Amino acid sequence: MIDNSSSGVLDGNAAAGLLQEIFVLDVTTAQIECAACGSTWVVGSLRLYAIQMGAILRCNHCDGVVMKAVRTPHGHWLEMTGARNLIFQV
Amino acid sequence: MMVIETAPVAARRLGWLLAEVREILVETPRVTSLLLHVAGWQGHRAGQHVDIRLTAEDGYQAQRSYSVASPPEDDLLALTVERVENGEVSQYLVGHVSAGDQFQLRGPIGGYFVWTAATGGPLCLVAGGSGIVPLMAMLRHRDRRSSRAPTVLVYSSRSLEDVIYRDELDAMASRDPRMRVVNTLTRKQPEGWMGYGRRIDRALLAETCFPPEQNPKIYVCGPTPFVESVSRLLVELGHNTRAVKTERFGPSGA
Repeated sequence: MIDNSSSGVLDGNAAAGLLQEIFVLDVTTAQIECAACGSTWVVGSLRLYAIQMGAILRCNHCDGVVMKAVRTPHGHWLEMTGARNLIFQV
Repeated sequence: MMVIETAPVAARRLGWLLAEVREILVETPRVTSLLLHVAGWQGHRAGQHVDIRLTAEDGYQAQRSYSVASPPEDDLLALTVERVENGEVSQYLVGHVSAGDQFQLRGPIGGYFVWTAATGGPLCLVAGGSGIVPLMAMLRHRDRRSSRAPTVLVYSSRSLEDVIYRDELDAMASRDPRMRVVNTLTRKQPEGWMGYGRRIDRALLAETCFPPEQNPKIYVCGPTPFVESVSRLLVELGHNTRAVKTERFGPSGA
């Protein structure tokens, strides 16, 4: 049902799979603090903007980019300069 | 039988498994369910999704995400797939797949858009089109566990023929006074249709969803514009942004 992307662009759920390739713990239930505005959100509640080969996550409050993830032929590339921390509760 | 209610945080690498098609169900002219046996499947919670990967003979691979339609209690894993024009994966999965076919699958993925019987209610589910799929896993789970959580499903479809799981939903609601199904048909209504016949708007949600004072758990799934619109209306009605869990599919902008 989430098949949609005839263009080859990933959608939000596909991006969750990409992030889960990087993290061992469930990243969608982790809390992320936005570096720009300081608000904290569950990662799964964020909007995932699909880009070629990857995803951009934006803050629900200020729209700042908190995470960028890209899959390349050589491995995964993750940028989190827009986030203060990522908390996995166990 | 002991059922673990809340699966532990997934502390494992996401690996590809082999799925075999055991049964194919035609849901609507454009929608098919595949019942899969997945070797090594570790179980899931209602609302989670999986990735599937098809490999052509020349090695070309295509990967897509699909919500799980079956509850954790079932032996086979059900995916419900809508055929998308020019969708290279969905075209295969709807109409060209046969029992015995195999492909790669990984999951479950995503612990955010999840409801378990232990989460309780009241439960308000809002579906647009094939956005019903993960919500159906929740309803089936609720049914299997005989959960008493008061529940309403608000389900927007183009026409009656496009309502996925119609008979099963009717049967569930008719044997359970705590569950209500509200259909709205946005493009075509059969003669004598007594239900809603318009896109989900503020008045419709106010009439059908539990009020904010009851702290309902709200799950919204559908195409991106549908989800954006419904979640905005719910917040306008006084529901807390954080109480409204959403899952969007379709081109996600940018």
